[in-house]
Amino acid sequence: MNPVLSRATLAVPVALLLIIGCVLPLALLLVFSFFTVDMDAFVMVPDFSGGNWLQMATKPIFGLLIGKAVLYGSVTAVLTACLGYPVALAIASLSRNAKSLAGVVLLTPLYTGEIVRIYAWRVLLGSEGLVNALLKGIGLIDEPLKFLLFTPFTTYLVLVYNTLPFMVLPIWISAELVDRRLIEAARDLGARPIEAFFKVTLPLTTPGLAVGLFAVFALAAGDMLTPSMLGGTSGSTPMALIDNLFGTAFDWPLASALALSLLMVLFGCASAMAWLLLRLKGARAVLQRGLQ
Amino acid sequence: MDSRVSARSQITTPLLLSARGLVKDYGRSRAVDGVDLDIPERAFTTFLGPSGCGKTTMLRIIAGFERPDAGSIILDGKPLLDVPPERRPVNTVFQSYALFPHLTVFENVAFSLTLRRRSPDPGPRVRRALETVHMADFADRYPHQLSGGQQQRVAVARAIIAEPHLLLLDEPLSALDRKMRSHLQIELKDLQRRLGIAFVCVTHDQEEAFALSDLIVVMNRGRIVQRDDPATLYARPANAFVADFIGSATLISGEVIGLAEGATSASLRTSLGILEAPCVEGLSVGQTAIFVLRPDHVQVVEPSLWNNQPSFKATVRHIVFKGDHYLIEAEAEGILLVFEDKLLLNPGDAVMLQINQPSCFITRVDT
Repeated sequence: MNPVLSRATLAVPVALLLIIGCVLPLALLLVFSFFTVDMDAFVMVPDFSGGNWLQMATKPIFGLLIGKAVLYGSVTAVLTACLGYPVALAIASLSRNAKSLAGVVLLTPLYTGEIVRIYAWRVLLGSEGLVNALLKGIGLIDEPLKFLLFTPFTTYLVLVYNTLPFMVLPIWISAELVDRRLIEAARDLGARPIEAFFKVTLPLTTPGLAVGLFAVFALAAGDMLTPSMLGGTSGSTPMALIDNLFGTAFDWPLASALALSLLMVLFGCASAMAWLLLRLKGARAVLQRGLQ
Repeated sequence: MDSRVSARSQITTPLLLSARGLVKDYGRSRAVDGVDLDIPERAFTTFLGPSGCGKTTMLRIIAGFERPDAGSIILDGKPLLDVPPERRPVNTVFQSYALFPHLTVFENVAFSLTLRRRSPDPGPRVRRALETVHMADFADRYPHQLSGGQQQRVAVARAIIAEPHLLLLDEPLSALDRKMRSHLQIELKDLQRRLGIAFVCVTHDQEEAFALSDLIVVMNRGRIVQRDDPATLYARPANAFVADFIGSATLISGEVIGLAEGATSASLRTSLGILEAPCVEGLSVGQTAIFVLRPDHVQVVEPSLWNNQPSFKATVRHIVFKGDHYLIEAEAEGILLVFEDKLLLNPGDAVMLQINQPSCFITRVDT
């Protein structure tokens, strides 16, 4: 058998899982979105008028919520990229022992669970919290800083904190794959360190950056707990609305239409972003090596 | 005497680079251990030695990728060590070339010209550089679309386009197959003559060093063992290490029992009898020394053709067919002698051998 084909067969179990766990539910959502709820009998009945989709298109609240998810996703992705890129490069340049330590430090917060972290942030950022107490103690402020908790600031801060490992890891691996001699070659040919970075390191780490942006965008745009528990009045998200519609309001058809709309928009944004990045010469050169 | 020869050759060509007292430690191991070195202008100099001898570290120090722990380097009459790599008039052809994978051949070669404050249109110069290495037709290819030999040429073009005063080559041909290697050896040597700039090459392959170099610097354990032209190196190795590393040789150890002609020739008592040959300077009677016997200094003799050279009996052990001759390994008095002959001998044959002693050399044991 063709070796590429036989290697591809290794992916069959996962592909099956993806079909059962992802494609089927999506198909189900699509079917549900063409139902309507008969509120008297409290049952769902088919309704091919597309009323749910009409609501999606016409009621501004849905567009606004989805737009907000995209905004959270993109801003968090960009912030994490800016913060995570230097961290990833720094880790890649450490000694081997220091690298494993950095890996542990990077990943440990992920084991604590989101709810625990959220309450920890409340303790840290509240009016009587650690940060305000500290700032007051050293005399920098008289009144506690109110913007620290239950504002968009909090949401972004915690989203960035939560998603940082998913940005750092792929860039770190990308940076490890950049041959050190390429940077020496650039220096040798007259590039100052900063020029060597922009002409060699950055282009050749775009695959890691693309994966990081993709992952962080999806995680942040789809997060519900962080905005709703730390974002205060700004914390409404399409996810929370979907949760409400499915759980409390029993409007599965509308929830399905909203979930599908959100998914399509997010997937479209993320794919466009990753596609643009992977089209860059640096990324193409790195991915080319896989074919050799 | 050999040091006087090299002293004279230093005077005829002006010095490009001179290093004094270079030391470089990696953790507990000392890669470069007090190296003094002069590199002449417009010459092809090669650092030759086994892996780990410090030759690559020397190259990296000159390029600016490593900073020595002690010592100084003067290039073009100016101190070099405080100059960052990008401002040194030195360019490097890296081992396995380090071409930028995301740039085309043209962009790779143009790299140094497209950096700040350089020529606005690098096109003509890039094309000229590519023509120099016969790669003009490949300007739009990417490195992964090139063969090893083609990548090597692009790496050379990229390194010479900025007109360095010194071109460094780190094992430039080691990644290539044998045929391509000998072909590119000739091209590299020719290129060096045409450009008229100094090339400094690092290799562990003595054949390559011989093919390329005007001057060979033999290194071992972080020190320079000998610095000479290839012919002198072959004929008058400074010690047993050089004799063994350069070309093939049978090393026979013995005791110096006499010196002649102003101590430029010595006689040695060995298990093959008393052998006489020109010798390295500084030997004294009673010392242990090494008789260096090259394959072309041994002949099989017919009893009728014996002359006054001493001869001895040996038994053939192994034979290797080399095309126009055989390489023969024979044992005499517990010593394995390697020599060449056109006669077909068989393992087990007894032969009478004679050594052409005046062409041989007596050198020091390793210090």
